[in-house]
Amino acid sequence: MSVVVEYTSILDFIGFNSYSLMDNQYYPFLDEYNLPYAISYGLWKIIGGTIAWLINLIFPGNPVSEWLMGDGASTLFALIIFMLIIFIVVFVCTLISLWMERKCLGRMMDRRGTMIGMKGFLQCVADGLKTFMKENTIPGKVDRMTYMWTVSLVIGVSVLVACMIPLSGRWFVVNYDTGLLIVMAFFALAPFFILVSGWAQNNKYSLVGGMRAAQLMISYEVPMLIMIATTALLAGSFNIGDIVYAQNDNVWYFIPQIVGFITFFFCATAESERLPFDIAEAEAELVEGWQTEYAGMKWGLIMLADYFRGYVACAMVTIMYLGGWTLPIIGDGPIPEIVFLLKTWFVFFLMILVRAALARVRPDQILNIGWKVFMPLSVVNLAIVLLLKVGGVF
Amino acid sequence: MTIKYLDKYPKNLAKSLWVLKPQWTVLKLFAKTVVHRPVTVLYPYEKEWVPENYRGRPGLIFDKCVGCGMCARMCPTACIKLVDAEDDNGKTVKRPQVNLGRCAMCGYCAEYCPVDAMTVTPEYELAEFTRFDLIYGPRRLNYEGTTEGMKVKLEVTLPSDIENGNPERRVSLFDLDRPELIDSKCIGCKKCAKVCPVNAIEMVEKGVNEKTGKPILRPVIDNGKCICCSNCVDDCPKDALEIKEVL
Amino acid sequence: MTDSIVPVKEIEEKMETDKMWIIMGPQHPFSHGLWTLKIKVDGEIVVDADPIVGYLHRGWEKETENRTYPKIIPMADRLCYAASMTYTHLYCMTVEKALGIDIPEKAKYIRIVADEVCRINSHLMWLAAVGTDLGNLTVFLWAMREREYFLDLNVKLCGARMTTNYPRIGGVRNDLTELFERDVIRTVDRFEKALWDIIALMDDSSIIVSRMKGISYISREQCANIGMTGPAMRGCGVDFDIRRDDPYDNYDKVDFEVPVLTAGDSYARYMIRIEEMFQSCDIIRQAVQKIQALGKNAPYRIKTPTKVPAGTHFMRMEDPRGESLMYLVSDGTDKPYRLKVRSPIFTNVSTSKVMCQGCRIADVPAILAQIDMCLGETDR
Repeated sequence: MSVVVEYTSILDFIGFNSYSLMDNQYYPFLDEYNLPYAISYGLWKIIGGTIAWLINLIFPGNPVSEWLMGDGASTLFALIIFMLIIFIVVFVCTLISLWMERKCLGRMMDRRGTMIGMKGFLQCVADGLKTFMKENTIPGKVDRMTYMWTVSLVIGVSVLVACMIPLSGRWFVVNYDTGLLIVMAFFALAPFFILVSGWAQNNKYSLVGGMRAAQLMISYEVPMLIMIATTALLAGSFNIGDIVYAQNDNVWYFIPQIVGFITFFFCATAESERLPFDIAEAEAELVEGWQTEYAGMKWGLIMLADYFRGYVACAMVTIMYLGGWTLPIIGDGPIPEIVFLLKTWFVFFLMILVRAALARVRPDQILNIGWKVFMPLSVVNLAIVLLLKVGGVF
Repeated sequence: MTIKYLDKYPKNLAKSLWVLKPQWTVLKLFAKTVVHRPVTVLYPYEKEWVPENYRGRPGLIFDKCVGCGMCARMCPTACIKLVDAEDDNGKTVKRPQVNLGRCAMCGYCAEYCPVDAMTVTPEYELAEFTRFDLIYGPRRLNYEGTTEGMKVKLEVTLPSDIENGNPERRVSLFDLDRPELIDSKCIGCKKCAKVCPVNAIEMVEKGVNEKTGKPILRPVIDNGKCICCSNCVDDCPKDALEIKEVL
Repeated sequence: MTDSIVPVKEIEEKMETDKMWIIMGPQHPFSHGLWTLKIKVDGEIVVDADPIVGYLHRGWEKETENRTYPKIIPMADRLCYAASMTYTHLYCMTVEKALGIDIPEKAKYIRIVADEVCRINSHLMWLAAVGTDLGNLTVFLWAMREREYFLDLNVKLCGARMTTNYPRIGGVRNDLTELFERDVIRTVDRFEKALWDIIALMDDSSIIVSRMKGISYISREQCANIGMTGPAMRGCGVDFDIRRDDPYDNYDKVDFEVPVLTAGDSYARYMIRIEEMFQSCDIIRQAVQKIQALGKNAPYRIKTPTKVPAGTHFMRMEDPRGESLMYLVSDGTDKPYRLKVRSPIFTNVSTSKVMCQGCRIADVPAILAQIDMCLGETDR
């Protein structure tokens, strides 16, 4: 192995093994370049190199310094930093969409929205801190275990699916060939936990809210999956990257699938339980729906999870219909992540517009809309795509 | 006149693409408020214009007040009380004290004040830390910058004037009504003269009592001074005085 | 064989899910004020409803018996926060009728202007409530924004926003302030344009229309039996408006239409109120013209005696919410012996059982928003 005497200066440690990202034998992304991983690997090289150098100063020639800079330890710690980076980026994007909703909704309603710090952005932080500092109350007669676990799962699944959205060809967590399906599968998990949570809370409002969540899910889930299948059929793959680049090669899919785009947009609104379809937490009749008995930090996290889901819904629309992170002529461009996020926020703006203009639908109406409007439209969309495919356009 | 809305609605919503027009309406306002400001008034920093006759807390012009208690009598929430206060010459006089915790801001005190000493003021930020702080004494009721509009005038027209074809507005309700003596009931106790805030009542000898030999005293009201506060009517032990209303 | 077949109805009864009572209120987002609606639900469908009012009872009628007549006027303001002007007006009219006096023309027209401003005020508040109950916050804020302009008119007129304390026995408190006529016409013109925007948000949205259309039907007969009044009654096909059919205070000298629809559903009640706002704008314009014709120095308040002759009198008027009535028994002193208020909502809310049966839980706020609940006058 290497000789200890060579590594005396800090630069030697940081530049240990000549800083090879892809040559690392434990590199987790096979032969693909991953930007956040590269950043975290570099970060670990700096942090870990400094630590290793400090330890080496005190105990010269120890094996710990060497281990810290080895392939295995570097990958391990780089992955931890990688997770943090992915989460923080998604978290900040969600906070920005939350801020955007507050400001845009305010302007649409002829008021000002939040105004505290940085044009109102810090209000989100203040609200988060406030909910975290509240007392953690659990009502007396709830089923405690289910009560706690379901809310954790709702939040956890939402965060998971938000982190799984790739921001570009180089910014992803895993690059599955069935990426779209897996994202949709995790995305559709939350209503089950909402249903169970409604039962667990020993409250009539949350019971009705939980039942409505199930009712809502069976109405939009099927047309949504048909439209995902349509997009996959058009692109010839379930891989998110492939879908995006297929759009870049031809046209953005909202042109051939304009019907599907509109339908999927509303389905995605329903999936993220936003206003025209937020019947599970309809505050006019059911006080706060299935969230009635959750207070303080739990409630704050549920609200955050809602926005995570809203972000995911917009990202799905962007990936499937708006060309993902590519631009028409430029293609990938220098910073595809920003392009992707801008598109996502544009879709979110449309969602805000829908929220400002429309009222809440009734639970029986959403069944009608789901099965009598969205379902035929998605089938029509499928038929159009089939015709195009058979006709050889794509 | 004409029906404006029911002629046009309900209409076929399929023509306006079911939900598209609301979106368009909202988007128009969004564009407008992004360019201009929303209508919100940012309250602690900006304040709305208030007119002269805005009914905030009551105000008092100390030197003008005669201490007649008309405000206390008319107050619907009984938040006004007459207390002893020292005027500029060190003399003890009666002046109103207002408990703003109970005040309903109805403006009756300013409206019925016969000498326009009570006013309405445009002050509406009246929060205090204790209830005791909400009690405004006569000096604290003073409001700098009292204008003519804040002294709410009570302009009335007499029904008899309207019948005569001369509907002129009289500035006060009270320069017409006068207390009237029912001579048989009066015992000459001088109480009315004592309670009169403007010293309009003078006790005049109207002869001598034949049995006791003491003089018979009867109140005589100076119409020029009387403000018709009806204190004498209220305090008369034998109900010998009553207000004669001019209509 | 035939005996073994269980009747279909019996099967249905056996298969019926458990019904449960949901108690909505007194602290609930849909109850605008303190009241409770108990609804019995079978799944999502409401099978029974039971309104409970009385949380806000403060002994208004008893309190008036210890007050002289002018002191009751500020109290009448507090009957209903949204329609304070109409209640004060009604009280003053009742006492004037008991006194047997006729008030000056100018006062009558000023009262009409103030009343109609108050009616638009109240209807806008109702529109805001409908918006939130249907889940659209934009309607709420737009309607509240428009209401603010009318509250500003109130400030300009009498110095207070909500508890106006403006009508007096024998006239009104003060003359129209400087430039008030100009301001009221401008506000009304502006409001008509803004109202079309709100209508575009409500009536052009198929979601809102489908949430209101065809639910909570009340027939004309049911409406009459329960004693429903106001816009809700006119939505059921009863052509009756006290302003036109039993006019008070010069309402017979202004020209306006009484909108009537025969549909009897929630949407009809909504449409009646919207049309009434347009009619109110017309009435305001005409009344302001009449005031200007009377001249600046016309009398607006006459002196009235403090004591009311003994006797019983009642007066009724078209409140924004229905027919409100005051019944006065006086015993010849300066205080009323008894003053009874008939609140329109107290009777209207008793229709909630009829209206809610068969609808869904989600419809309950949308239906009860059409009653235009105000608890101050219901419980008194």
